[in-house]
Amino acid sequence: MLTGVVFDIKEFAVHDGPGLRVTVFLKGCPLRCSWCHNPEGQSPEPQVLRGSAGERLAGVSFTSQALADRLCSLAELLRVGEGGVTFSGGEPLVQADFLAEVIDQLDHLHVLLDTSGYADENSFRKVAAISQLVYFDLKLIDSVAHQAHTGVDNQPILRNLRVLNELGVPFVIRVPLIPGLTDTEANLSAIARTVAGMPGLQRIDLLPYNIAAGAKYAACGMAFQPTFDESEKSNINLSCFKSAGLKVRVV
Amino acid sequence: MNIVLNEPITNPRSKTPTTAIDGVELNNHSGARSRFELEPRLVEMKRALREGHYKQYRTSPEVDLLAECDAEQLSWPQRAARLIRRMCEAQEVVIRPEERIVFTRTTGKVPPVYRESQQRDLTSGCALHELGPISNICADWEMVLSQGLLSRRKVALSSRERLKNDPQAVEFLNSAIETIDAVLDLACRYAEEASRNHRHDLAKILYRVPAQPASNFHEALQALRLCHAVLWLGGHYHCGLGRFDQYMWPYLKKDLDLGRIDVNGAEQLLAEFFLSLNKDSDLYPGIQQGDNGQSLMLGGVKRDGSSGVNELTYIALRVARGAGMIDPKINLRVTKDTSLDLLELAAELTQIGLGFPQYSNDDVVIPGLVAHGYDLEDARDYSVAACWEFLIPGRGMEVVNIGAVSMPAAVDAAIRSGLPAGDSFEQILVLVGTNLRSQVAKLAERFSRLFLPPAPYYSVLMNGCLERGSDVSHGLNYNSFGVHGACSSNAADALAAVKTFVFDKRSLSSQRLLDALDTNFEHDEVLRRKLFDEAPKVGNDDVRADAMLVKIFELFADACESISDNGRGGIFRPGSGSAMFYVWLAQGHETMTEPVVGATADGRKRGGFFSSSLAPSPGVRVRGPFSVLKSYSKIDYQRICNGGPLTLEVSDMVFRNPEAVHQVALLIRLFAAVGCQQLQINTLNVESLKEAQLHPELHKNLVVRVWGWSGYFCELDEAYQNQIIGRHIYGEPTL
Repeated sequence: MLTGVVFDIKEFAVHDGPGLRVTVFLKGCPLRCSWCHNPEGQSPEPQVLRGSAGERLAGVSFTSQALADRLCSLAELLRVGEGGVTFSGGEPLVQADFLAEVIDQLDHLHVLLDTSGYADENSFRKVAAISQLVYFDLKLIDSVAHQAHTGVDNQPILRNLRVLNELGVPFVIRVPLIPGLTDTEANLSAIARTVAGMPGLQRIDLLPYNIAAGAKYAACGMAFQPTFDESEKSNINLSCFKSAGLKVRVV
Repeated sequence: MNIVLNEPITNPRSKTPTTAIDGVELNNHSGARSRFELEPRLVEMKRALREGHYKQYRTSPEVDLLAECDAEQLSWPQRAARLIRRMCEAQEVVIRPEERIVFTRTTGKVPPVYRESQQRDLTSGCALHELGPISNICADWEMVLSQGLLSRRKVALSSRERLKNDPQAVEFLNSAIETIDAVLDLACRYAEEASRNHRHDLAKILYRVPAQPASNFHEALQALRLCHAVLWLGGHYHCGLGRFDQYMWPYLKKDLDLGRIDVNGAEQLLAEFFLSLNKDSDLYPGIQQGDNGQSLMLGGVKRDGSSGVNELTYIALRVARGAGMIDPKINLRVTKDTSLDLLELAAELTQIGLGFPQYSNDDVVIPGLVAHGYDLEDARDYSVAACWEFLIPGRGMEVVNIGAVSMPAAVDAAIRSGLPAGDSFEQILVLVGTNLRSQVAKLAERFSRLFLPPAPYYSVLMNGCLERGSDVSHGLNYNSFGVHGACSSNAADALAAVKTFVFDKRSLSSQRLLDALDTNFEHDEVLRRKLFDEAPKVGNDDVRADAMLVKIFELFADACESISDNGRGGIFRPGSGSAMFYVWLAQGHETMTEPVVGATADGRKRGGFFSSSLAPSPGVRVRGPFSVLKSYSKIDYQRICNGGPLTLEVSDMVFRNPEAVHQVALLIRLFAAVGCQQLQINTLNVESLKEAQLHPELHKNLVVRVWGWSGYFCELDEAYQNQIIGRHIYGEPTL
């Protein structure tokens, strides 16, 4: 049985999918987005957060069965609440084998995978295929810019998007609107072109940037170093998507 | 009882930040629901209310009854009736041009009917409840509106004839008739003044009601306004409004069916009625301003068990949201099968941060009441008293808040005496039971001599008093006392900590714990943190803590059930509320008889607050609302049936999510489905966030929406906290 590291389990996660949900935040992420709001999700190791309310350990090891048992103890409630379990991170696919093992033990609860899309193809396939809905981040289509602001190449992400489309699992594209970086007309249009016509696409969610993204860095003993002007407001441009006939909303 | 009030919101729509972004397509479930907005005349009325304009009419000379009462040697019932008469006479008629439902109080305080020394002599050896006069019950408004006061007068006359050889009954009935006449005279003066002012619409209504049965919605609202307001003139307080959508719907339905009114017209009238309940409410007694018990119940089943939800249930929720005032306090009866439409409307009311609706679960409450000896039909007809206590409108003369047991004190005393004696944990639990029993016995002993002053006017409005020729103060169908089981979570946590560390793991010596408790943890912060952070806590669906919660309520129920008669032919009904005791038990209060506690074994220091009603102990980390619901669903509510809500606080930022209203509705359904009894969901506002900044240790679980993500408010740097508060202040509509 595999063991994984989780940095939070949140009940009533109203922003993480339909109905009443519990979200599991898996620790560890290969990306280093300069706007990351969950810095404690980056390192795969457990770490202590020191905030104004005292210390909190972020990162607890679970066997797949222990995590599944905890989630299944809420199964009846989640079914009444027309919801399920969301796996987020970090990047949940860093622990894809563990995650797949957990999902297999969830007794058919609705599973939502919230992913950056950055993973090897097998890992992606394995978990996406057993999820009922995928929240798939698309940040920057330009691969140079992607490398510069997230620390990784976007080719695996774009490949996995195609894999997702082939799998036929319904998905939502999530775009963080980072001022001057991702919210440009060029980038948003490129995203629209990339996803247009994909049959599994449910809609596009635009997530305006909020200045509080850096809030937890100090607690993690890390420095927040945005590669963009934090004081600028996100450019909320819906026309790129609407003109392509895509369903879009701001969340 | 609200200790902290959320200010009413002028324009609740602007509270939803998502609607502020123009041109953005929103998948907002609320789009399907129609909105209600106050018409301009009512916007003006609300502004006048908020600015206290109605206080300018309080110019009537103070009423002084004592001289005439003494001169005429009036009895207590006669004095109570004379009070109603003189107070009604003292009211100047106030009809403002914008009003369609009238009555504004023009007198300030309610005068006494006896001098203090006289009253002391008359009640010597007796216990009074709170201020004395009958409070916290609910009239049979269905009867009053459908029969009219003249018909009640006829009943009184015929009873007087029948009981003419019973001087007490005759005196009571004469007093009751005097109060009816006083109210009718007041209505008549309003009607005459309306005529003089060419307000023939109003005159017509006031010549008819409350004397005659109401014949339409407008008359019913006017009759209710007047009859309800007169209760307060008589010194009664926490006067409930009962099952409003049940007794009002027939009038509105008839009007709608006959095309005499349209839905918007009805909504505006209802909104005016709701606003009118805020005209004089600053004069109403309570622990804090706003604690006035103007509770109004919606939904639920009819007496025959069929669904009582009707169009007015929906209208009242919409109007309460649009009116945005703290009165009336809306309650909604639900089951796991209540339609999501209705729950979503309720969630939208929750969203604006007024702290209501409060929800009760019919599937749990009705059988609970039946188990406590209530007839099934009456149980189906339940409403709530001022806060949450269940009562039967028109048929109960219960004192639902006779007092509280201090659960933390019962546990603390057991720990402090049991551990030094080398008791087993089972023996400590026995001591807890003994302590609870002794607290209940003290209440029972004291209030076995309860004196309720005569209340002839309230008797007119209750079911059966005039028929029997007996004042409501002598009792009705139901005469129980309700007792709050206050601050249960801390008490359960303390037991769980002792069981876990001292008995199961044996990692803590009794002596070390006792020393730490005696010294308020001053020299052993390490132990305090261990107790506070590592012990099992209620609210996590953790059987180690929840079993203690269940046990302590079981012992409390045992204690109450050991009292077979409260002295009035009623029982002691145990509940789970805390009222103000979550402050009082921690810090003491001059009027309180319940024992205060110092530092407790759950790691709480002396003076630290307890949680309100059913909620995890302040400051402990919990998994979230699902686990909280599961923990509290384990209580045996068939035995614990005086009410006392599970209290969930959600940040109003939750509502940034376009699906939040739907999700909150699902959460309400979940509350019913898991078998909890009563629920309050509070949407936190900026004041609460500021409080969280000052006392982060008490608000670890406060979740805020920061961007496309949620975080624990107290883990954010201060600058970011301020940013959120700043944004929120701007988001707050100006009052």
